[in-house]
Amino acid sequence: MSESAIVTEPGESPDGATRHRRRVLWGFALLLLVALGVAAFSGSVGLSPRLLLGELPSSLDGYVWWQLRLPRLLAAVLIGAILAASGTAMQGLFRNPLADPTLLGIASGAGLAVSVWIVLLGGAGNAWGLYGQFVAGFLGALGITVLVFALGRRAQGGGTLTALLLTGLVLNTLASAAGGLLAFIANDEQLRQLSLWGMGTLAHSLWPGVIAALLVIPPTLVLLLRSAHGLDLLQLGEFTAFGAGLDTTRLRRGVIVATALGVGLSVALAGIIGFLGLLVPHTLRLWLGPGHRLLMPASMLGGALLLVITDTLARTLASPAEIPVGLLTSLVGGTYFLWLLLRRQIH
Amino acid sequence: MLRLNGAGLTSTPALMPISDHIVAGDLLAIVGPNGAGKSTLLAMLAGLRQAELGSVELDGFPLGDWLPNELAARRAIVAQQEVPSFAWKVRDLVALGGEPSPRRLADTLEAMQLTSLAARDVTHLSGGEAQRVMIARALCQLAACSEDSERPRSGGMLLLDEPTSALDIGHQQRLMRLLLDCAHQDGLAIVCVLHDLNLAARYADRVWLLQGGERVAHGRAEEVLTAETITRVFGAELTTLRFPDGRGQALLLDR
Repeated sequence: MSESAIVTEPGESPDGATRHRRRVLWGFALLLLVALGVAAFSGSVGLSPRLLLGELPSSLDGYVWWQLRLPRLLAAVLIGAILAASGTAMQGLFRNPLADPTLLGIASGAGLAVSVWIVLLGGAGNAWGLYGQFVAGFLGALGITVLVFALGRRAQGGGTLTALLLTGLVLNTLASAAGGLLAFIANDEQLRQLSLWGMGTLAHSLWPGVIAALLVIPPTLVLLLRSAHGLDLLQLGEFTAFGAGLDTTRLRRGVIVATALGVGLSVALAGIIGFLGLLVPHTLRLWLGPGHRLLMPASMLGGALLLVITDTLARTLASPAEIPVGLLTSLVGGTYFLWLLLRRQIH
Repeated sequence: MLRLNGAGLTSTPALMPISDHIVAGDLLAIVGPNGAGKSTLLAMLAGLRQAELGSVELDGFPLGDWLPNELAARRAIVAQQEVPSFAWKVRDLVALGGEPSPRRLADTLEAMQLTSLAARDVTHLSGGEAQRVMIARALCQLAACSEDSERPRSGGMLLLDEPTSALDIGHQQRLMRLLLDCAHQDGLAIVCVLHDLNLAARYADRVWLLQGGERVAHGRAEEVLTAETITRVFGAELTTLRFPDGRGQALLLDR
């Protein structure tokens, strides 16, 4: 967009900015509803839209809808929203467009814990396997975040974002290496389960997990929405932001707690859904500008939208088989990113 | 009013205790050689680094007792050159932290000669332009909290760390004149770390000279910035020349 040409630019007056904001968010909400509508009726078992008219579903249709599709759609919305919102928050916090929700090691912490469960505790194949995997993943994600925080405070330059980032980097590497070691000693079945987990899928969205997500994720979304103004101020640099009334420590704590809980739960439920937390905020920032008061809610809706769409594709493209949705998001995201990079090079 | 009661820092970078006060309506310049502790002192005056010896009090209360947003209503900071990594528009960035009225925003942009850049992406600005944007933002922040929201709050404080480092001389003059107006007319206390001793000599009401974490001289500019003192502290040899209007003296490096 050229910088001078547009006369009635959105954001010109406070009023215009509010109207623009409302229009964008309603637009996203509408798109999300449409996507959910389409997603609800497509899949290996096609459900008929007449369900909506109160027609009594056959027992199979009813089962598919209540036990499989509805929880899965809810999971897609919640996980998409929290991944994109945490990505936005992390990029804002570290003032770096390449930060993503797993920057501080959440994914590898969860991965290590899941490996421990599957390989050392015999979690593959037994009746508790899937639930154990949820719990292990969540604990791993929280555990590594706590560790990053505790060690980051003692590291050189303690308490600064750089110290945190470096500690995260180191623990990330250590956890990945330990996970790799477990994969090395795993048997074939365990290895397959591990690698499937790593690809990311919403196929295991069963009610207990989804209910946990319903309890945990919405509060973290609220926390992130409330940190939008603080993230804006932080863009001025820490000293200036402090002068403008920002409590950096509190902001940082809020963002990281929300990310650890929300993304930790997502990773536990669905494995690693790549690129979404990087792609959505990055793209929306190019389009809507860097102000977090619009970017944050837009990322939530945009992330939910993208995951609902890609998960529907994952369910239907190779039906009745399923493509892990994490592969799709990484594939689509990676290609798009490459295109973005090359296009900007040319201009 | 900001009062320092033997305020100092013991952890590195350390600062020897200072007892003094900074009053509204004054432009105070903090000068000194590289590594003298100018920015450290500014951080202590801002409350970012809590005084480890003595105390710093704003309007009678220690800085640490103020809530961050109450403090933000009374003092703003322009740190050294920090350009945001995201593509903010100039006008949106200037409005951050102050939410100024459209008129106040327009006036401030005008005063900092940013009107034509208002819709520009801040990541594409030159160093000097970016500096002016950050100064405009700080002025808007202080104005937002005054009763008459079109002017900065009287008794408010503006802390600037080398605000002229990237400015050409035309913009240096405009900025220093604007800061003087803010001090003398709007009644702000301006504390400005300056690298350029001539700017300090010409515009500052008072000067603090720092060396090795210690305040070694303070007072009116012509009392502090003498050839003798500067040679002692900076190791530079120079000649002073009285300005024709009688207001202070220029410092010229000897060849």
